[in-house]
Amino acid sequence: MSHSLNEVEATAKRAARGAGFCWGLAEEAGKAARWLCANGQDGCGVLARLLDDLDGEPLSALSPMSLDGEWTSPSGRLCPLMAGVTLSDCASRLDEGDIIMSGVMHPALILPFSASAAQQRKGDVTVSWDGLSAVTNSSGMRLVEAASAFTAVAAARVRVRSGGTVDPLTPHATRATPDAEHWATLNRFAHRTYAPASEASRLLGAGAGLSDND
Amino acid sequence: MQEPQSTTIPRRDPDRVMRLARLGSFHQSRLSFMRILTRRMAHEGWRFTRPVFEINSDGVGHAVYSAQGPFRTYSLVAFAHDLPPEQRSDRVIAEAWDATFALFDGVPTAADILRLSKNVPQQEAGRVSESELSLSRANRSVRLWAHVVDALAAGRQPDTDQIGKVGYLMRTTAVYGSGKFGAADREVIADRPEMQVPFQAEMLSVYLTRTFVRDLVQHMARAQGGDATATLDPAIARQLGIGNSTGLGMAPYIVNHPVLFNNWIIAREEAIARVRSVAAATAAEVASFRDLLQRSGRSVAAWRSEHPIQMEKLARLRTDLDTLNTFVAGDDLINDHPWDRLFRWAESRLGEDGQEFIASLMLEPYPDLVDGLANCMADSNVNAFRINGAMPVERVRDLIEACFGWALSVDWTAPENSARAWYVSEEKLEPRLGERFKEPIAEYEQPLAPARDAALLHGALADWPAKTPVAEFLLKHPEHRHALRRVQIAAIAPYGEIRDNTISAKLLPIDMLRCKLSFFGATHFDPRSDRWVRICMYAGAPYPEELSESNADRWIYPEPVANG
Repeated sequence: MSHSLNEVEATAKRAARGAGFCWGLAEEAGKAARWLCANGQDGCGVLARLLDDLDGEPLSALSPMSLDGEWTSPSGRLCPLMAGVTLSDCASRLDEGDIIMSGVMHPALILPFSASAAQQRKGDVTVSWDGLSAVTNSSGMRLVEAASAFTAVAAARVRVRSGGTVDPLTPHATRATPDAEHWATLNRFAHRTYAPASEASRLLGAGAGLSDND
Repeated sequence: MQEPQSTTIPRRDPDRVMRLARLGSFHQSRLSFMRILTRRMAHEGWRFTRPVFEINSDGVGHAVYSAQGPFRTYSLVAFAHDLPPEQRSDRVIAEAWDATFALFDGVPTAADILRLSKNVPQQEAGRVSESELSLSRANRSVRLWAHVVDALAAGRQPDTDQIGKVGYLMRTTAVYGSGKFGAADREVIADRPEMQVPFQAEMLSVYLTRTFVRDLVQHMARAQGGDATATLDPAIARQLGIGNSTGLGMAPYIVNHPVLFNNWIIAREEAIARVRSVAAATAAEVASFRDLLQRSGRSVAAWRSEHPIQMEKLARLRTDLDTLNTFVAGDDLINDHPWDRLFRWAESRLGEDGQEFIASLMLEPYPDLVDGLANCMADSNVNAFRINGAMPVERVRDLIEACFGWALSVDWTAPENSARAWYVSEEKLEPRLGERFKEPIAEYEQPLAPARDAALLHGALADWPAKTPVAEFLLKHPEHRHALRRVQIAAIAPYGEIRDNTISAKLLPIDMLRCKLSFFGATHFDPRSDRWVRICMYAGAPYPEELSESNADRWIYPEPVANG
């Protein structure tokens, strides 16, 4: 079954929120999953695996401690959403040299954010980790080598550098076809954002109030 | 926004416009999405056909209505059902309806219709595809439906008073677009000229739905009355709009799309500024205004509601219309910036409903100044979402103070200022509004209190050095990322934020609903509660076979009723 990219974004956003991310990061997770799907990648799968892996862990343990030098977290594991938004927020730092991140979980989720950094810099940004290199810019991405490493659950070191070429671009997609299992995972997390049904909520919360048989 | 027209009068201040009471007093205008659609279809000579109408005498079956424009054809696929009254609910939590619809991108094959027949009647529980642009459903107005069927079947025309009391035979209870339940994303159609303006697919779907409903009521009357059945008088049919019954879903929408919302508001504000800047009006322009003022008076007179808040607003609007008519009778409205004079007079003498009524109405004589702004109403700024992490903390503080300054003096710990929380129920994901301190809902709160969140962000920034890039703050405080994004968006979208408290104990969600619905072109807002409203769409509009450039625009203003 295919899903629209709006469904992907909405479901991914709710799922990330349900997994404990604040709304601002959940919004980024939605856009990131959508970006990957729009670029022909399994954005739902990679996000579902990430949420499963870090469920319940405090974000501060998974965030870069400092932007000086190699980006490392207190736990030794870097959340790709937190590292990704930081990369996008600090795109100008690529002027000063490569950015190295260590212990990145599900590194494919860095790519939407390197594309964002590339767009701000009006150029290309290359992301590489063991067995994979990808170039991103405002038009999309190109996987340069070993697409099998795309689904790596972790990368000891991720290098982000200015430059590269996206030609030929990975074809764009207007639909997503996630595995049923991953889609169910996202919906399981998303469900945590929904208030339980109750008679009081049903009566008061939406409040049509009157009969519709008039 | 580009300003090719010279405006000597500036746009109104967002602090004045973006208050809930004012947004909840908006009226339709030349920039309403329904009127933009009917103008386009008439101008481009769209052709309409009904290739399928297979509905039995119990009113069960399906029909297809096709609209062919210069580039493409769109088809409404309609399914008619026999709904037991106990299942009739306008709420999202309903599971069956009198009729269900999809807008198909093209002309559906028999296989498409078969596929849709297994999904569209289930609405949210079914799936549609990238070939579908909208998914919707409608319920009958039980009393008016029965009256019209019975009258026609008996060989009589229905009573126009009864029609006037309700205004429509069916009301849509949801019109889903843009990717919902598998439909095509907005991005798939956004570059098409006929779909560039927001909500054109949805407005087309509703326009064709109205035609289907007219045909269905005639069909049902004939099934009951046989050869003696009367044919519905086209003039009476034209009075019939299509209703819409709307709950809270629209309120989050305008908060969640600040750039889009900004573009709607700023287009209308720019139109108002342009018309106020007209130094002298021609006699023809003034005559046009006077004519439409009379005609809109008829619409206001026919506007009914039993909700106390709306009854009070309506009483004031009617009084204001009398005051307005007296003023207009004593002024030639020709010289010395007549519309600005009129508008400033309205600001000093009329309530907000009356002021916004005038603001919309005075745009009417000026299609050349106004209509092109429709092309600015979509949101094509895909980069607005991205945070500028290099922005210094002091600049962020300035932006908060500019857009949310009013919110910094609000005590957000006071229960009355944070009384409500927006949430989504697990029951069909219905959007709801609850009492934060009385119901266990706070942990499910949706981010729909931008002012509170901006105030919290402002507080959190207090101890940060002025020149620090905000990226460093966000690294330590990702919980403020959502609010910071909105603050940066507000800098480019000054009308994108409601400058009022969306979680106050005094909040009336119907203000948010009315604002959005006014841009659709809705009339006769009839709240059923503080969070639910019924409206009428397309009342007075020509049906497809009648549509021409002469009647494509001003149908919203009722013509005098001919005698006999």
